Amino acid sequence: MTEQEHEAAPVRNAEFKAAILLVLLAVLVLGSALYLLYARGAFESTQTLILQADDSDGVVVGMDVTFAGFPIGRVRRIELSPEGKARMVVDVPRKDAHWLRSSSIFTLERGLVGGAKLRAFSGIPTDPPLEDGAARTLLVGDPGAEIPRLLAAARDLLQNLNDLTAENSALAASLANVAGVTGKLNGPHGAMGLIAGDDKNAQQLAERANKLLVTVNALAIKADSLIGHADERVFGQQGTIIQLNGLLADARNSLKKMDAVLVEAQAVASNTKEATADLGALRGEVESSLRRVEQLVNEINRKWPFKRDTEIKLP
Amino acid sequence: MNTQASTPGILQRLHQGVVAALHGWWRLLHFAVLMFSMALTPASYGRAQRPILARHLVADTVSNLAWFGVLSALVSLVLIRIVVVTSQSYGLSRFALEMVVRVLVLELIPLSAAAFVALRTTLPAGLELAQRRHAANDASGGELHREFFPRVAAGVFAVWMLAAVSCVLTLILAYLSLYGFTPWALAGYTRVVGQVFNPAVSLILVLKIAFFSFAVGLIPMATSSRISQGLGDMVRVFGVMLLIEIASLMGNYY
Repeated sequence: MTEQEHEAAPVRNAEFKAAILLVLLAVLVLGSALYLLYARGAFESTQTLILQADDSDGVVVGMDVTFAGFPIGRVRRIELSPEGKARMVVDVPRKDAHWLRSSSIFTLERGLVGGAKLRAFSGIPTDPPLEDGAARTLLVGDPGAEIPRLLAAARDLLQNLNDLTAENSALAASLANVAGVTGKLNGPHGAMGLIAGDDKNAQQLAERANKLLVTVNALAIKADSLIGHADERVFGQQGTIIQLNGLLADARNSLKKMDAVLVEAQAVASNTKEATADLGALRGEVESSLRRVEQLVNEINRKWPFKRDTEIKLP
Repeated sequence: MNTQASTPGILQRLHQGVVAALHGWWRLLHFAVLMFSMALTPASYGRAQRPILARHLVADTVSNLAWFGVLSALVSLVLIRIVVVTSQSYGLSRFALEMVVRVLVLELIPLSAAAFVALRTTLPAGLELAQRRHAANDASGGELHREFFPRVAAGVFAVWMLAAVSCVLTLILAYLSLYGFTPWALAGYTRVVGQVFNPAVSLILVLKIAFFSFAVGLIPMATSSRISQGLGDMVRVFGVMLLIEIASLMGNYY
């Protein structure tokens, strides 16, 4: 085997193609490097903003500062200030710096999921722009900090719950009583045992109740026979109702007679009325007769010389 | 008596194994230094060497580039889709892009590019060279220039090229998968990519690709300068790649 046979397969224009490959690689590498430099803001003119907080936990170099959800700055460095506070040096591109005003506030929000977020808020857009190198204090909103408080409250709650459900707690005693009550209810004496308390008492109570029931039964039988007798008395052949019916018939006859008497009385009354009317006329006639008699007597007296008594006695 | 006789035998074999391994690593180091010195020597790129170098460079890179480009694009699309859908289902879609970039571009693409070049090019080439050298039974300085250096350089370049093309391709595919064919998400995308590729991560990525390429290019050729151990070369290559990957992971995430 010669050396030439083991050479790589001949390639036409190998040097040209190799040059193209080299150029392609160089372009890719340089292009990627330039793109990454651009992506990291190496070609941007920036101004510096210093944010101070008690704790820089969650903040990493390179993270964004957002305004209305848009990234307008990037954390360049995090350091500890002489006062012991965390200083975050932020690069803000000058083309985005006009969003930040002297009255802008900056917040650090730590979510339960994901990293922290640095946010900027500009309430008054007409305020003067934020100057280069300005230092501002970060307002920190941390739901994670609420967790220990929440845990403490939950622990208290669980402790209370434990106390409530402990073996010697009031709730457990109540439940035990309820269990006893339901046990008695399910027991041989049922609700009676629950009411009587003791099984012996319950038995006695049941016996007495049975006796009472027997007595009541006998009483009911007696009452039944009594009612039967009363029924017979009232509604039987010689019953009160029959007699009452006869009495009522007699009373009806008496009333009828009374009606007749009344009719007669009415007739008498009408006769009396008529007689009274005749009596008026008779009286007039008597009065006129008397007057004539008086006149006659007066005349006799005048004519008769011996007058003794002028008074005339009426019959 | 057997145990008394076998214990020195085990120790002797262990000693021989350790000495052989150290010798092998020493030869590898020696070979690497030779290759680096050749790479830094202008004569290696002289008129006489240029055609061989160009031929190896083109043959080793172009065939791998086409296949690896297609395969990595397909795998990347599948992984990007999985990551995006999963993150959306958990309401964490704002972390999807960062995860895609970190998983694919920083970790998987360089590793798979190096493995692809090792399996398709440098390991077979190293084996072939070893067999030829075994037949010829000599080695000279001229042969190092003529046979070894072009293959090593081609292997190293192929890894660089595959990794660079696939990384760029994956970044483009990630953008298109996440946002579609619109230019308006480019600013946000650029910002996230910029946050992922901080100086330390970028340096580790470059170093990782470089060391992968050196491992893939040098180890098969270094062992082929003597009788090849076949599967042993592959184990050594992938062992070194694994160590490099572990080191890069520790650098990135610790």
